[in-house]
Amino acid sequence: MAWNDENNKNPWGGNNQTPPELEEVIKDFKNKFNSRFGGGSSGSGKGGVSKAAKGSLKYFVILAVLLWLLSGIYIVDPAEKGVVLRFGAYQNTTDQGPHWRIPYPIDSVYKVNVEQIRATEIGFRNIQNSSYGGAVSSESLMLTKDENMVDVKLAVQYKIADAQAYLFNVFNPELTLSHVVQSVIRQVVGDNTMDHVLTTGREQVAQEVKSASQGLLNEYNTGLIITAVTMQDAQPPIQVKASFDDVVKAREDEQRYINEAKAYANDIVPKARGASQRLIAEAEAYKSQVVSKSEGEAYRFNQILAEYLKAPVVTKERLYRETLEEVLGSTSKVIVDSNSNSLMYLPIDQLINSSRSSSSSSGSKTFQDNPTSQSNDGSVLRSRENR
Amino acid sequence: MMNRIILVVAVLIAILLSSSLYTVKETQVALKLRLGEIVSIENEPGLKFKTPFVNNVVRFDKRIQTLDSAAESFLTVEKKNVVVDSFVKWRIVDTQKFYISTGGVMAQANLRLAQNNQDALRSEFSKRTIIEVISDEREAIMASVKGKLKEIAEDEYGIEVVDVRIKRIELSQEVRNSVYSRMETERKGLANRYRANGAEEAEKLQAFADKERTIILANAYRDSEKIRGEGDAISASNYAEAYSQDVDFYSFYRSLESYKKSFNEQGDILVLNPDSEFFRHFNPTD
Repeated sequence: MAWNDENNKNPWGGNNQTPPELEEVIKDFKNKFNSRFGGGSSGSGKGGVSKAAKGSLKYFVILAVLLWLLSGIYIVDPAEKGVVLRFGAYQNTTDQGPHWRIPYPIDSVYKVNVEQIRATEIGFRNIQNSSYGGAVSSESLMLTKDENMVDVKLAVQYKIADAQAYLFNVFNPELTLSHVVQSVIRQVVGDNTMDHVLTTGREQVAQEVKSASQGLLNEYNTGLIITAVTMQDAQPPIQVKASFDDVVKAREDEQRYINEAKAYANDIVPKARGASQRLIAEAEAYKSQVVSKSEGEAYRFNQILAEYLKAPVVTKERLYRETLEEVLGSTSKVIVDSNSNSLMYLPIDQLINSSRSSSSSSGSKTFQDNPTSQSNDGSVLRSRENR
Repeated sequence: MMNRIILVVAVLIAILLSSSLYTVKETQVALKLRLGEIVSIENEPGLKFKTPFVNNVVRFDKRIQTLDSAAESFLTVEKKNVVVDSFVKWRIVDTQKFYISTGGVMAQANLRLAQNNQDALRSEFSKRTIIEVISDEREAIMASVKGKLKEIAEDEYGIEVVDVRIKRIELSQEVRNSVYSRMETERKGLANRYRANGAEEAEKLQAFADKERTIILANAYRDSEKIRGEGDAISASNYAEAYSQDVDFYSFYRSLESYKKSFNEQGDILVLNPDSEFFRHFNPTD
């Protein structure tokens, strides 16, 4: 009864024709078996067991065949292509969805993801992809046309365009890609000057690397297509980096010097213009001043002259007296008697000091009144301070 | 018993079949040998037959192989050392020749190709200068080495050389150090040039500004002196016109003005002689 159970349980046994066929086959097999071994059976009980065992063996074989056939089912993901080989020879390529092939060992299938973007790095290793990250200077250091060295790091993105070519044409296509890009980047960098590679030519270098590498990959028929080449980094080697940085600083210094000079110019020229305006203005003020002053004084003189001419002696005398009065009224005086012949000590220093300290006037003038009209015989005097 | 015999026969047939059938994969070529003698070359993949126990089959990878030889040091024409890393892409085209010449061992083929590659590269490098090697003639070197290698490999090993490419050209350590120091001095020169240019420009700007200032101030001084001179001239003419009417009175009048201006403070000390004109009435005895 075991086989009956198995038949019902079998999830793949949906074929309506199979059970009767199988049953017939089994019956037939049983009959044959019984007729052949029935007489020579060692015991009735044993014979029953044997019959059952033989029946299940038969069914087991059929089940195995079924399972074997079912193992030929495979599913291709949307991003994948299935490449089917028959006895190792290329048969066909299948797209996404469920498929069936003749199972092992006749057919085999390779599933290749043709959509996934893969990446490889030249000159450095991404920490995510590798146990050791960081720079790989043996890959990244390269010579330029002008015999300088630069440190270039590239990231290459690619995918498998042709699954069949990818599988069958080149041993280790990824390694080939890496070799090709390394070779091409050095060639391109070697064709350009250092300044070009480090500054303006980055994009162009990456583009050239992409197209030249793709050319070689096509030549080898690797089935790979490069989707992007990006220059991660292009720098002078670490040994000379300081001096390169200094050039950048020097360029900034240059600008700074110029800016400072401009600031200086912007400071002093307007100030000079201002000062010149002041000079002119002061000169004009002076001019106005002296002209006005002269006009005023001339007018005044003219007025007084007219009066003087009317009465010269009186006017002259009056003016003289008034002036002396005004002068003597406001100054310190020492009157010296010229007739006395005694020796007189006149402490002018002290006089000046005392008058200065008392009046704290800005300047003291000492004047020896010795007009030619007066008698000036050597006089020895006694002094009298008038306060 | 009959059944058992059938079973045994079936097993025997299976064994026989399995040893008389073989597959050649898409990536392979195979040689069928009869007691060591090459009978046929199987270039097409698929299921094949052979005579059991008499024939045996050797398979080779017919995909493009990579020979990535170790970096080797070569001398250029100016006797500078460069370290060159190259790779060769090759595949088997003449399976029979390949089997005979290398014994079917890939490593053996790689070794021989590597030697030939080194020789060809060495002779190409020794004809050229570093700059040619790095830049202008890299392509030419690769093409020439490829040509040479192709001929040898095809004739001798049954190998098609698909490509020869130079991966790296490096200067040896001491040359590299001198390159670094040269780069450094170049940069230093460049940096100095930038700074000197800046200083030059700054000096120029400053000098120009100073010049501007001096000119502006000088012009202003000139103009102001002119204006002052005009003022002086006008005032002088005013004075002259007034005073020349009576010169004696002018000198008297002006002297009195001077006295007033000169002696107008307490600190001024006049030492006077009582005989003076002012004291005429002060000293009646006289």
